[in-house]
Amino acid sequence: MSESAPTAAETRRIAEEARDRVRFEEEALELSDQVYRVARRLVTTREEAEDLVQDTYARAFRSWQQYQPGTNLRAWLLRILTNLNIDRGRRAQRAPEQQPLEEGDYYLYNRLESTIQDDNPDEERVLERLSQNAVVEALAEVPHDFRDVLVLVDIGEFSYAEAAQILDIPVGTVMSRLHRGRRILKRELAEKAVTG
Amino acid sequence: MGCGCSDCEKMMQPYLDGVLSDEQIREAKEHLARCPGCEKRYRFEESLRRFVRVAVDEPMTPELKARLAGLRTSAR
Repeated sequence: MSESAPTAAETRRIAEEARDRVRFEEEALELSDQVYRVARRLVTTREEAEDLVQDTYARAFRSWQQYQPGTNLRAWLLRILTNLNIDRGRRAQRAPEQQPLEEGDYYLYNRLESTIQDDNPDEERVLERLSQNAVVEALAEVPHDFRDVLVLVDIGEFSYAEAAQILDIPVGTVMSRLHRGRRILKRELAEKAVTG
Repeated sequence: MGCGCSDCEKMMQPYLDGVLSDEQIREAKEHLARCPGCEKRYRFEESLRRFVRVAVDEPMTPELKARLAGLRTSAR
């Protein structure tokens, strides 16, 4: 053996790093269905979602050493994804709509119920007034700032704290945007169900 | 239209999210036990959340999955 050969410790370190890297990439790929599910509703088209997810994974695989093992990898990936999405020209809205929302949380139910002849329909029958398409379209109408939170919490099933970390906003803002976002979604659904 | 229970309407989202205090949960439950109109609207909201989650789900294509696997640096 020549003197320039790596020491045993060095060889071990390199092997460990390679193993950590493989494990990181495998774990990240296992989460790709969940990452895509969220990405698909943060943007408008399937193509945009696919590009975004692909760029996210390329970035994650390059920067894998910045991920701290033991922390939430799904949230870390979504943090990269939402940042890339903003970089792509989806600037954060300066002032999300602040006017009071007239429609409360019972609005959708009341509107749907009023289209049914029966005096006292059960809630499953009321829900049947909504189509899958109406939901997809209504969600796309929710302004970005509210939709981001709605998609992360109600579709991605992230906690308030995780959504706050991903979007880099306070937890209180997550809650207020989520509540308002859900009400905007229900207002849009009421319109689509009644007119469409 | 509506059951006029505006406090109960405002409590609905935090109640279903599980972020109310024990005292508030007790108050909400007492009201719901007395008010079938609110109770039905709470059940509707729960079903709606599930319905939304399922309705917007669009799985990724196998092609994208393969492209992501191809991005692995350790596989090269």
